[in-house]
Amino acid sequence: MPELFFLPALPLPSNQIIWFGVLLVAGVVGGEIAKRAFFLPRITGYAAAGLALGPDGFALLGRPMLDELRVFADISIGLILFELGHRIDLRWLKRVPRLALTSLAESGLSAILVYFTLTQLFGVGPLHAAVAAAIGLATSPAVVMRITADLGAEGQVTERTLLLTALNCSIAVLALTALIPSLYLEYRGGWRIIVLHPLYLLGGSFVLGLAASALTLQVLQWIGKRVEVQVLALVALILVTVGVALTLKLSVLLALLAYGGLVRNLDRNHSLAAPDFGLIGQMFFLILFVLAGANLDLAAAAKGSAIGAAFVAVRFIGKAAGIMAFIPGSGLKARQGLLLAVALTPMSGLAVIMLQDTQSLFPEFGRALASLVLPAVVLLEIAGPILTQFALKLAGEARPGPAAKS
Amino acid sequence: MGELPFKISQPLSLGIELELQIVNTRDYNLTRGASDLLGALAKGGSPGDIKPEITESMIEMSSSPQTSHAGLLAELRAMREAVAAGARKLNLGIAGGGAHPFQKWNDRRIYDTERFNQLASLYGYLAKQFTVFGQHIHVGCADGDEAVYLTHMFSRFVPHFIALSASSPFHQGEDTLFDSSRLSAVHAFPLSGRIPLVRSWAEFEAYFAKMRDYGIVQSMKDFYWDVRPKPEFGTIEVRVCDTPLSIDRAAALAAYAQSLARYLRLERPREVSDDLYLVYNVNRFQSCRYGLDAELIDPFGGVRAKVHEDLVATFSRVAAHAEELGCRSVVQGLLMGAQDYGNDARRLRARFKETQSFADVVRWQCEQWMQVR
Repeated sequence: MPELFFLPALPLPSNQIIWFGVLLVAGVVGGEIAKRAFFLPRITGYAAAGLALGPDGFALLGRPMLDELRVFADISIGLILFELGHRIDLRWLKRVPRLALTSLAESGLSAILVYFTLTQLFGVGPLHAAVAAAIGLATSPAVVMRITADLGAEGQVTERTLLLTALNCSIAVLALTALIPSLYLEYRGGWRIIVLHPLYLLGGSFVLGLAASALTLQVLQWIGKRVEVQVLALVALILVTVGVALTLKLSVLLALLAYGGLVRNLDRNHSLAAPDFGLIGQMFFLILFVLAGANLDLAAAAKGSAIGAAFVAVRFIGKAAGIMAFIPGSGLKARQGLLLAVALTPMSGLAVIMLQDTQSLFPEFGRALASLVLPAVVLLEIAGPILTQFALKLAGEARPGPAAKS
Repeated sequence: MGELPFKISQPLSLGIELELQIVNTRDYNLTRGASDLLGALAKGGSPGDIKPEITESMIEMSSSPQTSHAGLLAELRAMREAVAAGARKLNLGIAGGGAHPFQKWNDRRIYDTERFNQLASLYGYLAKQFTVFGQHIHVGCADGDEAVYLTHMFSRFVPHFIALSASSPFHQGEDTLFDSSRLSAVHAFPLSGRIPLVRSWAEFEAYFAKMRDYGIVQSMKDFYWDVRPKPEFGTIEVRVCDTPLSIDRAAALAAYAQSLARYLRLERPREVSDDLYLVYNVNRFQSCRYGLDAELIDPFGGVRAKVHEDLVATFSRVAAHAEELGCRSVVQGLLMGAQDYGNDARRLRARFKETQSFADVVRWQCEQWMQVR
């Protein structure tokens, strides 16, 4: 036994807990600096802090550690998608069918415009362009939810931003799953895989969401209306569901969206008080944005700045056109419709995850795809939160007074 | 013509204003919805008059002058249809009730107009804490002298209106033990309370001129009295009611006020006296606190009786007048049924006991008011 066996061996091993804490601290500091010194949304600061620590910054945080920390991002995504799914109020959609049409129009038009821009202007192949367009039609749920919460925003623009985000994320995930057969056709795999894999993803994820929501409603009914206990139980069940989805190689995105949506719409007895994950939620939000920042690939973005700019521009035009087409009779004024379109601009974490999921199945295809999507992601990582914040403030829906200033 | 010309209106004409809560349908907290809702209504061309109030979580619905309970109820129903349809389109809930059970006053936003911003900066936290929801009942008077008489005599019956309409047992997430916690919020304002003991319109005008010259008030709007003459309309205005949970009850309260006014102006059972106000604040407190079970002291003779007993006794005096006005059964149901039915505060407490959730209570309030599930 060496003499000083109680001392740690050199070189010191780094571990996830240290990094988890370091990322939290960096995020908090970055967020405060963004807010106080630059009057930017805090989440822009979180991402900047991540970028500074990550491989493209001072490289304190290497790729291997980033991969190990992915588990925290998965948990965050789980919480966010559950809450997002819970925003889908089917009764509202049934009462105002125009809302569903608006969603289809803004998602569809932005995807079509992105597709044709990529194929016609940049000579991208149709399959690459289609997958990029599917990923691009989704608004970043994390950004939209964090900004509305930070601003204390309330009103129709806020409500509809959240609803349309929930819907376009669902549409994007479904569209991406629907494109899997074409990818198999292009790359590998017999007909059994072509048919069964998307069915397994869709069916399996939905069944998991359904089972989780049924169990949740039972548990919540048994717990009763004590909000704190409900939130803890909910977080626990979400973690289990995320874990099961990963283990079964299902789609975390689909499963959690279905879970949240079903809990909301199957809850006949109103057993769930509105979920508010409070500080737990904020912590995971922060980690997600820091990790997203650390994962940013600036080199790829710089190379594709023209594609990125075109992507972002036509995507916005598609969203704005889709929304404005259904403004009459929607209960919104034209100005509110335009601000709604601006608020839907962010695109970040969810796009990266969809990208990574595709890449893990089709590595070669994924690399080419990344060069189409990432430039827009990097651009909107910075501009997205600012635009959403700007739109909600201009709509008069941000909380005035000291709460908004602090 | 004096300081404050009293507009001649049709005696016993009737009108009400209802302040309503706007809530979201997720957690049923108050929400910023007035400007969106009014925008959506303006496009639809809604009946009646629907206005913003001091916070974004409130709208005010006013009827036009009506002669009968039936006409009033029909108009209110049409307005409810329009408001409920607009709210459903925006996924908002509209609810009655004198206060929101669990909103935090500091969350409220001031509706952006010059007058409201001015009030907010003058009254500070009071303006936001004043996020309470009341029903005002107008009854037409033949002239100013009659308005002064009715204003004083109505103060004898103010506890009835408080107890019958009370629907604010919860405030800031607590059971206040009061049936109407809302009226205590009104008491904090310096110009709340009651009319001074003037006996004619000329005397009242002199009082008003003095207050204006002191620089204390600019218009009648600045008096937040429980009952006040409203010379611009030619009415007296009863302002102590919490907004009831349903428009039917709101209309029934108005019918009671109309019947009472007819009884008082035709029979003139008593003359105005100081005694009215000796018992006033105690009776007012009692009825806010205990509702229909409060013990009242009759200023004329000092007899004590529970509110629900006093309502039964009062019905025998106003029944014939209600009959003449065509609202006998409604007034009978309201006054004679008080003991069995209880008031909205009692029903809200029962609801909370059953569900243990304020959000569920508010959702139920929305169902009561919007009449849709």
